[in-house]
Amino acid sequence: MSNQYSNEPMLEMYIFETSQLLEQLEQAIIASEKSSSYSQEAINEIFRFMHTIKGSSAMMLFNEISALAHAIEDLFYFLREQKPKTVDYEILSDLVLEGVDFIKVEIEKIKNGDEVNGEAALLIDKIKEFLSLLKTENACVAELKRPEPTKNQQYYIAVEKKSGQLSKSIYKATVFFKEGCEMENIRAYTIIHNLVEFTQELFYIPENISENDESIIWIRENGFQILFKTDKSYEEMHEFFMKTIFLKELILEQLENDDEFEKFRVPKKIIIENSEVKMPKVSAQLSKDNVVKETTTTSNQSMISVNVEKLDKLMDLVGEMVIAEAMVTQNPEIEHLELENFQKAARQLHKITGELQDMVMAIRMVPLSTTFLKMHRIMRDMCKKLGKEVQLEVIGEETEVDKNIIEHISDPLMHLIRNSIDHGIEENEERLEKGKEKAGTVTLEAKNAGSDVLVIIKDDGKGLNKEKILQKAKENGLLEKNENEMTDKEIYALILLPGFSTKESITEFSGRGVGMDVVAKNLAVVGGTVSVESIADRGTTITLKIPLTLAIIDGMNIKVGHSRYTIPIITIKESFRPKEGECFKDPDGNEMIMVRGNCYPILRLHEHYRVHTDIQRFEEGILIMVEQDEKALCLFADELLGQQQVVVKALPNYIKNTKKIRGVAGCTLLGDGSISLILDVGGFSNSYAM
Amino acid sequence: MPKILIVDDTAFMRLSIKTMLENNGFEIVGEADNGKTAIKKYLETQPDVVTMDITMPEMSGIEALSAIRQYDPKAKVVIVSAMGQEDLVKKAIISGAISFIVKPFKEEDIVKTIKQIAEM
Amino acid sequence: MARNKAEELEELEEDTQKGKFLTFVLGNESYGIGIEFVTEIIGILPITEVPELPAYIRGIINLRGKIIPVMDIRLRFKKEFREYNERTCIIVIDIMDNSVGLIVDSVAEVLNISDEDIVLPPTGNTGFSNRYIKGIGKVGSDVKLLLECEKILSKDDLDSLETLA
Repeated sequence: MSNQYSNEPMLEMYIFETSQLLEQLEQAIIASEKSSSYSQEAINEIFRFMHTIKGSSAMMLFNEISALAHAIEDLFYFLREQKPKTVDYEILSDLVLEGVDFIKVEIEKIKNGDEVNGEAALLIDKIKEFLSLLKTENACVAELKRPEPTKNQQYYIAVEKKSGQLSKSIYKATVFFKEGCEMENIRAYTIIHNLVEFTQELFYIPENISENDESIIWIRENGFQILFKTDKSYEEMHEFFMKTIFLKELILEQLENDDEFEKFRVPKKIIIENSEVKMPKVSAQLSKDNVVKETTTTSNQSMISVNVEKLDKLMDLVGEMVIAEAMVTQNPEIEHLELENFQKAARQLHKITGELQDMVMAIRMVPLSTTFLKMHRIMRDMCKKLGKEVQLEVIGEETEVDKNIIEHISDPLMHLIRNSIDHGIEENEERLEKGKEKAGTVTLEAKNAGSDVLVIIKDDGKGLNKEKILQKAKENGLLEKNENEMTDKEIYALILLPGFSTKESITEFSGRGVGMDVVAKNLAVVGGTVSVESIADRGTTITLKIPLTLAIIDGMNIKVGHSRYTIPIITIKESFRPKEGECFKDPDGNEMIMVRGNCYPILRLHEHYRVHTDIQRFEEGILIMVEQDEKALCLFADELLGQQQVVVKALPNYIKNTKKIRGVAGCTLLGDGSISLILDVGGFSNSYAM
Repeated sequence: MPKILIVDDTAFMRLSIKTMLENNGFEIVGEADNGKTAIKKYLETQPDVVTMDITMPEMSGIEALSAIRQYDPKAKVVIVSAMGQEDLVKKAIISGAISFIVKPFKEEDIVKTIKQIAEM
Repeated sequence: MARNKAEELEELEEDTQKGKFLTFVLGNESYGIGIEFVTEIIGILPITEVPELPAYIRGIINLRGKIIPVMDIRLRFKKEFREYNERTCIIVIDIMDNSVGLIVDSVAEVLNISDEDIVLPPTGNTGFSNRYIKGIGKVGSDVKLLLECEKILSKDDLDSLETLA
């Protein structure tokens, strides 16, 4: 548990960095799995990732995560150093991915402010077991203790200076280090390293300080003892020792004689440490093994990460600036004034505002690649569980979509991919019998189409069964139309209805009857649609159509009585003032109009919204023909107020939670501060249109 | 205010150290995420103390340390290490690092250490 | 160390807020809302109607660029509607990240009412507005009906079914 760091920036950075590392880790593992071998590069990379996660998690006091990362780090250290021949890479991948999942879950808890209480003990044991298995199977040379004890033990003793210098002082120093400073043996080594210059006959206990862990314990309990002779005065030596970092206590005695030195004076080999690292020649130096793929944390100083909330705020501000600019340049007070310079400046301002708006929009656009990348993992897990071989092909992942929308695509996409693999792609043998390739292919494609983005999930499986769908729909009372009159498209669309599922067995992953309709609903939240196509035995194609951005649309402002509404321009086909007598009623009393041979229902907005207006007769107002999802109708309003780029604001949560309001997609603020409701043409067309 | 250069390949550690030190009267004059940049930044910013992560890609902390000490024999470099890297830390001491601190560490540890070293 | 101090201060602040109520008037009755929910008080603003909502949700207003729904408390308490005038106020409250404006006849003052002076509403009486009252506060010889804000914002009651068709 970490309460110490309620330091937001650090926590956010930790979450961000660790999440990134986990993603890269996953990719590295999956890629290695595919090629059935772990290259040195990959092992190195994974080692470094785990090392980093171990360190930062420990700093943030997330000790379970740190311990888990440590275990995996040890495992990969072994793989890196010993390069064992017999390794069950499948189990290895599973273990590491299990670790990745654990950390992912904990990070979610951290993000949500929940208690980070996961226990990794079981998994850590599994990893340790795997490691010891590896060690026995590969009968490695010696038990590797980290760090490797490669060097010979060396006693660091100053060369005896020329004798004859009698005025030497003799000292005995005992140094205690602060608790928790770690590596006391190396700290002791540091003191010796610094003492050598001006001392003779330097002895110390414990002797073996650079490699031995036991010396650490000794030093902690008994202090580090040094005996030496030097020219320096007591004060000077005291000052020297007091400079020791993490010093807890110093006992410095000046001795009368060097009797205590006797027990050390055994002839020893004199070796002077001189392993200073030479000045690096960067070009030739780095061996291939050390070249690690640049992680996003180290390279790419041309990118920074920005908090989405800040972006939203920026968007809001730019939106308000657009309104404020309109209030200045279109102010009624200056309407009839001839102000040439002012107009010129106003146009310039408008231009810049427009560019600013475009820029902010562009910033919010994020490529789909990260979302698509996640699908690889899903693919892998599903293939393993179901024993099927499926390849994932990704096209157009650089296609960009508003950041807000990405969040709503991820889950539907996962579900669709699972569906394809679970129900679409046949078992390997069945595929071979049909003359298909053993491995199925699922293609994930993204592309731009006007003001929308299309995300297409295509599989080459067995396709949808029309008869089964129709039957199931009948059983659940979902058939509204005569089945003979339904197009294939309409039949396939039945699977999007709630409560529908033709799966004989509801597998763990999909088809619990909550599947496709939830996908459709999720998409609808961001104004997207789903369409399904299929060819028996050839495969199924599901197309998601998503608007590029929710945030700003081209709208036509209209007036109905005192109220103002905005219609998205892309839904408007045409607008006109009907002539007297052009409109008529059908037997049920619904008003309609004929336009070029087609019949369109009319929706009187003033009636629908119960707004009072003086304009009741069609010839006095205006009809606006709108269309969405191939359904069209005509809206009757008082007049058109003009086209405008509007910043879409959502209705307040309180209202959204109270009721989903048909026909209202959101609202916007007009130049004069009033609120205009943005009409959702799809909402009308479902109830009224032909 | 003593001037500090922070060298570590993870943004998280750089941010942590920066936060801890800035809260305690130090001025962070630069950051680097690998050995090469570290050397460059040292020349540019002439800090009083450098915190140097020991394991970094492209050029290790020890190599950068050596280079910096060659350029400025009075340079004060503090190594930031993880547990289990005794061997590397020892190498660093030999190459001229003034001291080291082991991760994970508390704020007061690094602050006291840097303070002491800055005053030397 | 510093953190404990901060916690202490926060608790102190909460304590000092507890017991403070913003009182307002509806007809003959006086109501109170815990000040911890109130973010601001403004005069009446133009309201944009939103269709298909219960009558007491009058619509939305533009509060310095933020869109806020407004609720007429009279209608919420099934009282007679009164036209808005210059004295009509909107009390903006913030509960569970929802901002809502409450339209009231007029706003009175902020009063300190300690726990001892608050009694629970009588349970026998099934009068409609009772469900929104969390207590009755005594101030001198006056009585203030203290509102349960969450209940006012909740949807699960009878009139949410009475949407205008």
